[in-house]
Amino acid sequence: MTDKGYAVIGERVPIQDAVLKVTGQYKFTDDLKLPGMLYAQVLFSPVPHARIKSIDTSAAEALPGVRAVATYKNSPRVRYNSTTRLYTQKWIENECIFDDTVRFIGDRVAAVAADTLEIAKKAVRLIKVEYEELPYYTDPLEAMAEDAYPIHGDSNIAGKIYQNAGDVEKGLAEADYVFEDTYTTPAVHHGAIETHAAIAYVDPRGKLTVITANQNTFGTRIVLARIFGLPLSRIRVINPGMGGAFGGKLEVTIEPVVAQLARMTGRPVKLTYNRKETMISTRTRHAAIITIKTGVKKDGTIVAQDIKVITNTGAYAGSAMNVVGAMSGKVYKVYKIPNLRFTGYPVYTNTPSAGAMRGYGSPQVFFAQQCQLQKIAKALNMDFAELQLKNLVDPDGIDQRTGKSIGNPRPKDCLRRALELQRNWQPLSDEGGKYAIGVGMALGCHGNSTFDAHLDKASIIIKMNEDSSCILFSGSHEMGQATITAQMQAVAEILKLPLDMIDVVCGDTDLCGWTVGDFSSRGIYISLYAAKKAAEAARAALLRAAALLLEEDVNNLDLSESHVYSRVSGKRVERYRVMEYVQQVLKEEIICTASHHATRAPGSYGFHIARVRVEKSTGKVEVTDYIAVQDVGKVINRLGAEGQVEGAVQMGIGYALCEKLEVDAEGRVRSSSFRQYKMLRAANMPKLQVDFVEEYEPTGPFGAKSLAECAVVAVAPAVINAICNALDIEIKDLPYSYRGQ
Amino acid sequence: MEKITLRVNSRDVEVLVEPSWTLLYVLREVLDLTGVKPGCHTGDCGACKVIIDGEAVNSCLVRAVHVQGKSIETVEGLAQDGRLHPLQQAFIDCGAVQCGYCTPGMLMSAKSLLDKNPAPTEEEIKEALGNNYCRCTGYYKIVEAIQLAAARMREVGAE
Repeated sequence: MTDKGYAVIGERVPIQDAVLKVTGQYKFTDDLKLPGMLYAQVLFSPVPHARIKSIDTSAAEALPGVRAVATYKNSPRVRYNSTTRLYTQKWIENECIFDDTVRFIGDRVAAVAADTLEIAKKAVRLIKVEYEELPYYTDPLEAMAEDAYPIHGDSNIAGKIYQNAGDVEKGLAEADYVFEDTYTTPAVHHGAIETHAAIAYVDPRGKLTVITANQNTFGTRIVLARIFGLPLSRIRVINPGMGGAFGGKLEVTIEPVVAQLARMTGRPVKLTYNRKETMISTRTRHAAIITIKTGVKKDGTIVAQDIKVITNTGAYAGSAMNVVGAMSGKVYKVYKIPNLRFTGYPVYTNTPSAGAMRGYGSPQVFFAQQCQLQKIAKALNMDFAELQLKNLVDPDGIDQRTGKSIGNPRPKDCLRRALELQRNWQPLSDEGGKYAIGVGMALGCHGNSTFDAHLDKASIIIKMNEDSSCILFSGSHEMGQATITAQMQAVAEILKLPLDMIDVVCGDTDLCGWTVGDFSSRGIYISLYAAKKAAEAARAALLRAAALLLEEDVNNLDLSESHVYSRVSGKRVERYRVMEYVQQVLKEEIICTASHHATRAPGSYGFHIARVRVEKSTGKVEVTDYIAVQDVGKVINRLGAEGQVEGAVQMGIGYALCEKLEVDAEGRVRSSSFRQYKMLRAANMPKLQVDFVEEYEPTGPFGAKSLAECAVVAVAPAVINAICNALDIEIKDLPYSYRGQ
Repeated sequence: MEKITLRVNSRDVEVLVEPSWTLLYVLREVLDLTGVKPGCHTGDCGACKVIIDGEAVNSCLVRAVHVQGKSIETVEGLAQDGRLHPLQQAFIDCGAVQCGYCTPGMLMSAKSLLDKNPAPTEEEIKEALGNNYCRCTGYYKIVEAIQLAAARMREVGAE
């Protein structure tokens, strides 16, 4: 069903901008310099929660070379939500460029624009601030107490997310066994090697342009419009491509700061955060406390599950509701559990703001669920794979809340294939008892598109040139995920063009059609579909013109790389001749726009198996072997798809074993450099087998659905389950911290 | 300000530098060689690696005044006469490039390795990348690309 004899779809295609990247010619935001450009530096709060009693910028302003100092006193105090997507959307808005109150160590207090970065740094140190310190919280459980001092409004509970299917109490009462466990996951750093950077300038008409490493250019434009009271036509947001993002660049962070400085100075301003600033002042993955109560029958059938989650959303709302909301939806896509309840509370604390990160709620909740399910299988003396197969959804699976289809879910196929691949493993020695060896597995799930939360749509434009090559205008943002490459593949496939006859303009709000940003596992599922439709429209326009030129029924016509030809009469004409006819005879152009929107949010799945070797004396863990099988509907770019899973394994093992943005009791991030914050190196990576289940998602382009976020979800629970089996212990807290006996 | 001479990608350049300026700063901000990437400024990510007298080093940790007269190779000097270096081509072919931000540093670590050891083992490659972070690829295709480039270079050398 999936093999349609494609020329480019499903092939191994290097990322389209690879030549620029290997030659060092790809220009990321910080690589750009504009004439007259100033350099900005931000002053960050040294205290976790305080009112600013006084702020004296006079010494900074007097420093030669300083062009502007922005504080809450001279900047708009418009409150916004940093993850805004739609113009009319109303989400919790409690962040502003600068405020008279600081809410975490690393919150923005002021910013300087100066002729050089050295001067800007010096000036920031000359700003004198007096703080009136307020009660602060680093622990969400303390922050959510009724008598806690509110960080915003009158409660530190940002909101409640509640979802229910069936009757959980009744289900638990009917269970033979009930298990209740609490798991915790830490805040982590995205670790994109490019830090946050943005450049802003204002033209004499007042039009603001912001060049920024940001995954959500259209949403960022809305936020800037609100702050500065400008029509959208007077704001242009351009993303030149990102050196990794992983959700860390979804939200508005530094863009309003550079925009304000550019407006104050009338000159281009660049702001680049260093690693520490990116770690403490942008976004993190939500830390979470997850309590799961699961009722099972003796035969392993799960009859009820009650999931309660508290997330630490940090100082500002941003993704507070969205991440927990997304988490709540994912758990309904996995098992045939008739009674399933989810209750979630995002809670404000005086710690760095949590936001989007690869998996968007799924890594936390599936870590807890998958670890508890392994524990349950053990208690029932049941094979874990068997317990999974008994409960996992089948291809006709439904969301138990609504009874609606969740696409063509194939977690069982992933599991079976993973078990097959496990036979390739070589025996592993425990070296005379020095090591404990364990194997663990886990299921991961993630969604496709923002459909469950709000509109998901992409509009793509294709412009045909005289020689029938074309330019694709895509609102998508390139960050290494090869979404633009996939769109070019679709255009190449439909228009029967070689890839070098297609080029792309992307991530520019003035030039490209509106799209939701690049997050929420929507690049393949939605944007690629829009590109496919735009290519189909361009193809139809080309054939219509050729039909007039050849005096042939359009239905008889088809495309080859060089010609339009009739399958019936054998008449043919070169493609450039058709374009000549369009432009010189018809006096027209072929410029096609197509939109695609989500009508469903199917699940994507992965089943992973890890083998670990634990040194008994030290507790040191080595992940030796790893299997990842992902249900993707259809692989669009095999090279890219493998790469996404391989990178996810690096990130997921780090989440399991060593990554934690440690915040101490005073609210200070302790692991605020790559010296302290450890990620996996090349030598730490396991032997890896990756495979895909391609069983065609009917609502996806070419049958495809999302991969990159889903692939990270199963990793940490698979590794932790392996360690639990190796050492015969229970682990409920990430990252792993056992240090041996 | 102090005037120093650097030999960058086989060309001598004179630059005026402050004693505090890092080589990374001089390459990017003075010489516009922005292929050299900042990622941490603490010598932990390897994105700013350049080759100085044959060794891959983090240019963020080196003061420019200390490399006066030394030969420095950056990613911009890898391709010769419009032809990609075998490492660059292999990185493309193997899918070792995703976001591309770590790529220049990875290439310089790899080049320094292959210049000294034309037939490295997988372990030796991983060791040579021991100070380079990549957050996209899990390193697999990077290791594979270095192996492929080494094989291709040996083949050409044998002809």
